[in-house]
Amino acid sequence: MPVTAREKWDWLSLTYDLMTWGEDWRQGGEKRQLFAKIQGRTLLVSVGTGNDLKYLPPKCNLVAIDISPRMIERARTKASRAGGNIRLVLTDAQRLAFADQTFDTVLTVCTFCSIPDPVQGLQEVYRVLKPDGRLLMFEHVRSKIGLFALFLDFMTFLTRRFGPDLNRDTVSNVLQAGFRLQHEANVYLDIVKIIEAAK
Amino acid sequence: MSDPLIKSIEVRERRRDITHEGTSEPFFFRLGDYVAGILTGILTALAVRLIVGPQWDMVVAMLVGMGVGMLVHMTLLLLFIPLLGMFEVMMPLAMIGMYGGMLFGMRDSMQQAYIPLSTALIVGGVFGVFVVFVAHWWNRQLRGAVFARPEARRSS
Repeated sequence: MPVTAREKWDWLSLTYDLMTWGEDWRQGGEKRQLFAKIQGRTLLVSVGTGNDLKYLPPKCNLVAIDISPRMIERARTKASRAGGNIRLVLTDAQRLAFADQTFDTVLTVCTFCSIPDPVQGLQEVYRVLKPDGRLLMFEHVRSKIGLFALFLDFMTFLTRRFGPDLNRDTVSNVLQAGFRLQHEANVYLDIVKIIEAAK
Repeated sequence: MSDPLIKSIEVRERRRDITHEGTSEPFFFRLGDYVAGILTGILTALAVRLIVGPQWDMVVAMLVGMGVGMLVHMTLLLLFIPLLGMFEVMMPLAMIGMYGGMLFGMRDSMQQAYIPLSTALIVGGVFGVFVVFVAHWWNRQLRGAVFARPEARRSS
Protein backbone atom coordinates (compact mmCIF):
# COMPACT_ATOMS: atom_id res chain seq x y z
CA MET A 1 0.00 0.00 0.00
CA PRO A 2 1.45 3.42 -0.94
CA VAL A 3 2.65 5.50 2.01
CA THR A 4 4.33 8.63 0.72
CA ALA A 5 3.08 10.98 -1.99
CA ARG A 6 5.88 9.77 -4.26
CA GLU A 7 4.89 6.12 -3.85
CA LYS A 8 1.24 6.93 -4.35
CA TRP A 9 1.83 8.72 -7.65
CA ASP A 10 4.34 6.10 -8.78
CA TRP A 11 1.55 3.54 -8.44
CA LEU A 12 -1.04 5.78 -10.09
CA SER A 13 1.24 6.34 -13.08
CA LEU A 14 0.34 2.80 -14.20
CA THR A 15 -3.35 3.62 -14.77
CA TYR A 16 -3.25 7.41 -15.05
CA ASP A 17 -3.56 7.66 -18.83
CA LEU A 18 -6.42 5.16 -18.90
CA MET A 19 -8.36 6.86 -16.11
CA THR A 20 -8.04 10.34 -17.62
CA TRP A 21 -8.81 9.46 -21.25
CA GLY A 22 -12.37 10.83 -21.26
CA GLU A 23 -11.51 13.84 -19.14
CA ASP A 24 -8.69 14.67 -21.52
CA TRP A 25 -11.11 14.73 -24.44
CA ARG A 26 -13.76 16.73 -22.65
CA GLN A 27 -11.59 19.38 -21.08
CA GLY A 28 -8.80 19.58 -23.65
CA GLY A 29 -10.25 22.71 -25.29
CA GLU A 30 -10.30 24.68 -22.05
CA LYS A 31 -6.77 23.57 -21.24
CA ARG A 32 -5.52 24.65 -24.66
CA GLN A 33 -7.08 28.12 -24.16
CA LEU A 34 -5.50 28.42 -20.74
CA PHE A 35 -2.09 27.21 -21.89
CA ALA A 36 -2.12 29.78 -24.70
CA LYS A 37 -1.72 32.45 -22.01
CA ILE A 38 1.70 31.31 -20.83
CA GLN A 39 4.47 33.83 -21.34
CA GLY A 40 8.23 33.66 -20.99
CA ARG A 41 9.93 31.07 -18.83
CA THR A 42 7.23 28.75 -17.50
CA LEU A 43 7.06 26.19 -14.71
CA LEU A 44 4.53 23.35 -14.99
CA VAL A 45 3.94 21.94 -11.52
CA SER A 46 3.14 18.22 -11.62
CA VAL A 47 3.50 17.16 -15.22
CA GLY A 48 2.06 13.71 -14.46
CA THR A 49 2.45 11.38 -17.44
CA GLY A 50 2.71 14.38 -19.75
CA ASN A 51 -0.85 14.16 -21.09
CA ASP A 52 -1.27 17.93 -21.01
CA LEU A 53 1.93 18.77 -22.84
CA LYS A 54 0.12 18.50 -26.17
CA TYR A 55 -1.91 21.61 -25.28
CA LEU A 56 1.17 23.81 -24.96
CA PRO A 57 1.78 26.47 -27.59
CA PRO A 58 4.71 25.73 -29.90
CA LYS A 59 8.09 27.20 -29.00
CA CYS A 60 7.34 27.39 -25.30
CA ASN A 61 10.15 27.53 -22.75
CA LEU A 62 9.01 25.15 -20.05
CA VAL A 63 10.34 23.39 -16.98
CA ALA A 64 7.98 20.58 -15.95
CA ILE A 65 8.31 19.00 -12.52
CA ASP A 66 6.84 16.02 -10.73
CA ILE A 67 7.45 14.20 -7.46
CA SER A 68 7.12 10.75 -9.06
CA PRO A 69 10.04 9.27 -11.03
CA ARG A 70 7.64 6.94 -12.87
CA MET A 71 5.44 9.85 -13.93
CA ILE A 72 8.52 11.71 -15.20
CA GLU A 73 9.62 8.61 -17.09
CA ARG A 74 6.25 8.35 -18.83
CA ALA A 75 6.22 12.07 -19.59
CA ARG A 76 9.58 11.93 -21.34
CA THR A 77 8.24 10.52 -24.64
CA LYS A 78 5.33 12.97 -24.71
CA ALA A 79 7.69 15.87 -23.99
CA SER A 80 9.83 15.00 -27.00
CA ARG A 81 6.68 14.82 -29.17
CA ALA A 82 5.28 18.12 -27.90
CA GLY A 83 8.08 20.25 -29.33
CA GLY A 84 9.27 23.43 -27.67
CA ASN A 85 11.99 23.62 -25.07
CA ILE A 86 10.74 21.29 -22.32
CA ARG A 87 12.93 20.20 -19.41
CA LEU A 88 11.69 17.58 -16.94
CA VAL A 89 12.81 17.83 -13.33
CA LEU A 90 12.15 15.48 -10.42
CA THR A 91 11.36 17.66 -7.40
CA ASP A 92 8.79 18.25 -4.66
CA ALA A 93 6.35 21.13 -5.23
CA GLN A 94 6.52 21.93 -1.52
CA ARG A 95 10.29 22.51 -1.76
CA LEU A 96 10.97 23.70 -5.29
CA ALA A 97 14.56 23.35 -6.42
CA PHE A 98 14.66 26.77 -8.11
CA ALA A 99 15.93 30.18 -7.10
CA ASP A 100 13.57 33.02 -6.15
CA GLN A 101 11.92 34.89 -9.04
CA THR A 102 12.92 32.42 -11.75
CA PHE A 103 9.69 32.07 -13.76
CA ASP A 104 7.33 34.41 -15.62
CA THR A 105 4.42 31.96 -15.50
CA VAL A 106 3.52 28.97 -13.36
CA LEU A 107 1.01 26.49 -14.73
CA THR A 108 -0.79 23.79 -12.75
CA VAL A 109 -3.26 21.13 -13.89
CA CYS A 110 -5.06 19.18 -11.17
CA THR A 111 -2.04 19.64 -8.94
CA PHE A 112 -3.15 21.29 -5.72
CA CYS A 113 -5.67 18.55 -5.02
CA SER A 114 -2.72 16.23 -4.45
CA ILE A 115 0.02 18.23 -2.74
CA PRO A 116 -0.10 17.35 0.97
CA ASP A 117 0.22 21.00 2.12
CA PRO A 118 -1.30 23.10 -0.67
CA VAL A 119 -0.62 26.48 0.93
CA GLN A 120 3.04 25.64 1.40
CA GLY A 121 3.19 24.52 -2.25
CA LEU A 122 1.55 27.76 -3.40
CA GLN A 123 3.95 29.80 -1.28
CA GLU A 124 6.80 28.03 -3.06
CA VAL A 125 5.18 28.91 -6.39
CA TYR A 126 4.92 32.52 -5.19
CA ARG A 127 8.62 32.49 -4.30
CA VAL A 128 9.82 31.25 -7.70
CA LEU A 129 7.56 33.62 -9.69
CA LYS A 130 9.00 36.93 -10.87
CA PRO A 131 7.25 40.11 -9.69
CA ASP A 132 3.98 40.42 -11.63
CA GLY A 133 4.40 36.80 -12.75
CA ARG A 134 1.17 34.87 -13.43
CA LEU A 135 -0.21 31.71 -11.92
CA LEU A 136 -2.52 29.79 -14.29
CA MET A 137 -4.42 26.89 -12.74
CA PHE A 138 -6.80 24.21 -13.99
CA GLU A 139 -8.00 22.59 -10.77
CA HIS A 140 -10.90 20.80 -9.19
CA VAL A 141 -12.17 22.12 -5.87
CA ARG A 142 -14.86 21.54 -3.24
CA SER A 143 -18.28 22.59 -4.54
CA LYS A 144 -20.19 25.33 -2.76
CA ILE A 145 -23.42 23.43 -3.48
CA GLY A 146 -24.28 21.46 -0.35
CA LEU A 147 -25.45 18.32 -2.18
CA PHE A 148 -22.20 17.99 -4.07
CA ALA A 149 -19.96 19.24 -1.25
CA LEU A 150 -21.15 16.52 1.14
CA PHE A 151 -20.49 13.85 -1.45
CA LEU A 152 -17.03 15.25 -2.25
CA ASP A 153 -16.21 15.26 1.48
CA PHE A 154 -17.31 11.64 1.74
CA MET A 155 -15.39 10.58 -1.35
CA THR A 156 -12.24 12.29 -0.08
CA PHE A 157 -12.12 9.76 2.77
CA LEU A 158 -11.76 7.08 0.10
CA THR A 159 -9.62 8.87 -2.47
CA ARG A 160 -7.08 10.54 -0.15
CA ARG A 161 -5.15 7.33 0.40
CA PHE A 162 -5.00 6.35 -3.25
CA GLY A 163 -5.25 9.64 -5.16
CA PRO A 164 -6.28 13.27 -4.87
CA ASP A 165 -8.41 15.09 -2.29
CA LEU A 166 -11.73 16.15 -3.81
CA ASN A 167 -12.66 18.87 -1.32
CA ARG A 168 -9.87 21.44 -1.37
CA ASP A 169 -10.67 25.17 -1.31
CA THR A 170 -7.95 26.07 -3.79
CA VAL A 171 -9.13 29.63 -4.47
CA SER A 172 -8.78 30.46 -0.76
CA ASN A 173 -5.41 28.71 -0.68
CA VAL A 174 -4.21 30.86 -3.59
CA LEU A 175 -5.21 34.03 -1.71
CA GLN A 176 -3.69 32.70 1.51
CA ALA A 177 -0.36 32.20 -0.27
CA GLY A 178 -0.31 35.92 -1.13
CA PHE A 179 -1.52 35.96 -4.74
CA ARG A 180 -3.97 38.49 -6.21
CA LEU A 181 -6.89 36.70 -7.87
CA GLN A 182 -7.43 37.93 -11.42
CA HIS A 183 -9.87 35.51 -12.97
CA GLU A 184 -11.93 32.55 -11.82
CA ALA A 185 -14.11 30.52 -14.20
CA ASN A 186 -16.14 27.35 -13.81
CA VAL A 187 -15.44 24.58 -16.33
CA TYR A 188 -17.72 21.88 -14.87
CA LEU A 189 -20.38 22.91 -12.33
CA ASP A 190 -18.46 24.86 -9.66
CA ILE A 191 -16.03 21.96 -9.19
CA VAL A 192 -13.58 22.11 -12.09
CA LYS A 193 -12.19 25.62 -12.33
CA ILE A 194 -9.75 27.84 -14.13
CA ILE A 195 -8.01 30.18 -11.72
CA GLU A 196 -5.69 32.95 -12.78
CA ALA A 197 -3.71 34.95 -10.23
CA ALA A 198 -0.83 37.40 -10.15
CA LYS A 199 2.07 37.81 -7.73
CA MET B 1 -31.62 53.79 -12.46
CA SER B 2 -30.35 51.09 -14.83
CA ASP B 3 -32.72 48.93 -16.87
CA PRO B 4 -32.65 45.31 -15.56
CA LEU B 5 -32.80 43.92 -19.13
CA ILE B 6 -29.81 45.98 -20.26
CA LYS B 7 -27.98 45.00 -17.09
CA SER B 8 -28.67 41.32 -17.80
CA ILE B 9 -27.40 41.66 -21.38
CA GLU B 10 -24.28 43.43 -20.12
CA VAL B 11 -23.61 40.60 -17.66
CA ARG B 12 -24.06 38.02 -20.44
CA GLU B 13 -21.71 39.91 -22.76
CA ARG B 14 -19.16 40.25 -19.99
CA ARG B 15 -19.34 36.51 -19.30
CA ARG B 16 -18.92 35.73 -22.99
CA ASP B 17 -15.96 38.09 -23.17
CA ILE B 18 -13.99 36.68 -20.29
CA THR B 19 -14.86 33.01 -20.03
CA HIS B 20 -13.42 29.92 -21.60
CA GLU B 21 -16.73 28.76 -23.01
CA GLY B 22 -15.76 28.77 -26.67
CA THR B 23 -15.05 25.04 -26.64
CA SER B 24 -17.57 22.29 -27.27
CA GLU B 25 -17.30 18.60 -26.51
CA PRO B 26 -18.19 15.77 -28.90
CA PHE B 27 -21.86 14.73 -28.85
CA PHE B 28 -21.09 11.16 -27.85
CA PHE B 29 -19.98 12.34 -24.42
CA ARG B 30 -23.45 13.74 -23.74
CA LEU B 31 -24.98 10.53 -25.02
CA GLY B 32 -22.57 8.58 -22.82
CA ASP B 33 -23.65 10.61 -19.79
CA TYR B 34 -27.27 9.57 -20.39
CA VAL B 35 -26.35 5.92 -20.94
CA ALA B 36 -24.36 5.94 -17.69
CA GLY B 37 -27.27 7.60 -15.88
CA ILE B 38 -29.86 5.14 -17.20
CA LEU B 39 -27.69 2.14 -16.37
CA THR B 40 -26.99 3.41 -12.86
CA GLY B 41 -30.70 4.11 -12.27
CA ILE B 42 -31.74 0.67 -13.49
CA LEU B 43 -29.07 -1.24 -11.57
CA THR B 44 -29.73 0.75 -8.38
CA ALA B 45 -33.46 0.03 -8.66
CA LEU B 46 -32.73 -3.65 -9.28
CA ALA B 47 -30.28 -4.01 -6.40
CA VAL B 48 -32.60 -2.22 -3.99
CA ARG B 49 -35.55 -4.40 -5.08
CA LEU B 50 -33.48 -7.55 -4.48
CA ILE B 51 -32.38 -6.47 -1.00
CA VAL B 52 -35.17 -4.41 0.59
CA GLY B 53 -38.12 -6.46 1.82
CA PRO B 54 -41.80 -5.41 1.53
CA GLN B 55 -42.35 -5.13 5.26
CA TRP B 56 -39.18 -3.25 6.16
CA ASP B 57 -39.27 -0.18 8.33
CA MET B 58 -39.23 2.78 5.91
CA VAL B 59 -36.30 4.54 7.59
CA VAL B 60 -34.19 1.40 7.57
CA ALA B 61 -35.17 0.76 3.93
CA MET B 62 -34.15 4.31 3.03
CA LEU B 63 -30.74 3.99 4.67
CA VAL B 64 -30.10 0.55 3.18
CA GLY B 65 -31.23 1.84 -0.22
CA MET B 66 -28.75 4.70 0.04
CA GLY B 67 -25.92 2.30 0.92
CA VAL B 68 -26.82 -0.04 -1.92
CA GLY B 69 -27.04 2.87 -4.35
CA MET B 70 -23.62 4.10 -3.24
CA LEU B 71 -22.09 0.68 -3.82
CA VAL B 72 -23.72 0.33 -7.24
CA HIS B 73 -22.71 3.76 -8.47
CA MET B 74 -19.15 3.52 -7.14
CA THR B 75 -18.70 0.23 -8.97
CA LEU B 76 -20.01 1.78 -12.19
CA LEU B 77 -17.68 4.78 -11.74
CA LEU B 78 -14.74 2.48 -12.40
CA LEU B 79 -16.25 1.67 -15.79
CA PHE B 80 -17.41 5.14 -16.80
CA ILE B 81 -14.72 7.48 -15.45
CA PRO B 82 -12.10 6.42 -18.02
CA LEU B 83 -14.62 6.86 -20.84
CA LEU B 84 -16.50 9.99 -19.83
CA GLY B 85 -14.34 11.92 -17.35
CA MET B 86 -14.14 11.96 -13.59
CA PHE B 87 -16.46 14.71 -12.34
CA GLU B 88 -18.83 14.66 -15.32
CA VAL B 89 -19.65 11.08 -14.32
CA MET B 90 -19.10 11.16 -10.59
CA MET B 91 -21.54 13.92 -9.68
CA PRO B 92 -24.69 12.75 -11.53
CA LEU B 93 -24.07 9.07 -10.76
CA ALA B 94 -23.59 9.87 -7.07
CA MET B 95 -26.93 11.67 -7.01
CA ILE B 96 -28.63 8.76 -8.78
CA GLY B 97 -27.03 6.17 -6.48
CA MET B 98 -27.54 8.02 -3.20
CA TYR B 99 -30.89 9.70 -3.67
CA GLY B 100 -32.29 7.15 -6.09
CA GLY B 101 -31.32 4.38 -3.68
CA MET B 102 -33.10 6.18 -0.83
CA LEU B 103 -36.25 6.75 -2.84
CA PHE B 104 -36.34 3.23 -4.28
CA GLY B 105 -35.72 1.79 -0.81
CA MET B 106 -38.65 3.70 0.67
CA ARG B 107 -40.90 2.73 -2.22
CA ASP B 108 -39.99 -0.96 -2.04
CA SER B 109 -40.66 -1.09 1.69
CA MET B 110 -44.20 0.16 1.11
CA GLN B 111 -45.36 -0.69 -2.40
CA GLN B 112 -43.33 -3.67 -3.53
CA ALA B 113 -46.42 -5.83 -3.97
CA TYR B 114 -48.14 -3.28 -6.24
CA ILE B 115 -45.23 -2.29 -8.49
CA PRO B 116 -43.78 -5.01 -10.75
CA LEU B 117 -40.02 -5.26 -11.22
CA SER B 118 -40.24 -4.06 -14.84
CA THR B 119 -41.94 -0.83 -13.74
CA ALA B 120 -39.40 -0.34 -10.95
CA LEU B 121 -36.55 -0.67 -13.46
CA ILE B 122 -38.19 1.77 -15.89
CA VAL B 123 -38.62 4.28 -13.08
CA GLY B 124 -34.92 3.75 -12.22
CA GLY B 125 -33.92 4.51 -15.82
CA VAL B 126 -36.17 7.58 -16.00
CA PHE B 127 -34.74 8.84 -12.70
CA GLY B 128 -31.25 8.45 -14.21
CA VAL B 129 -32.22 10.48 -17.29
CA PHE B 130 -33.78 13.18 -15.11
CA VAL B 131 -30.68 13.56 -12.91
CA VAL B 132 -28.30 13.70 -15.89
CA PHE B 133 -30.53 16.29 -17.57
CA VAL B 134 -30.53 18.43 -14.41
CA ALA B 135 -26.73 18.08 -14.11
CA HIS B 136 -26.28 19.28 -17.71
CA TRP B 137 -28.68 22.16 -17.19
CA TRP B 138 -27.04 23.14 -13.92
CA ASN B 139 -23.62 23.00 -15.54
CA ARG B 140 -24.79 25.38 -18.27
CA GLN B 141 -25.94 27.84 -15.59
CA LEU B 142 -22.70 27.69 -13.62
CA ARG B 143 -20.22 27.46 -16.44
CA GLY B 144 -18.18 30.57 -17.17
CA ALA B 145 -16.53 33.39 -15.28
CA VAL B 146 -17.38 33.92 -11.65
CA PHE B 147 -14.79 36.58 -10.98
CA ALA B 148 -12.61 38.83 -13.14
CA ARG B 149 -10.63 41.92 -12.26
CA PRO B 150 -11.08 44.68 -14.86
CA GLU B 151 -7.33 44.71 -15.67
CA ALA B 152 -7.36 40.92 -16.13
CA ARG B 153 -10.34 41.27 -18.49
CA ARG B 154 -8.52 43.81 -20.65
CA SER B 155 -5.39 41.70 -20.91
CA SER B 156 -7.12 38.36 -21.60
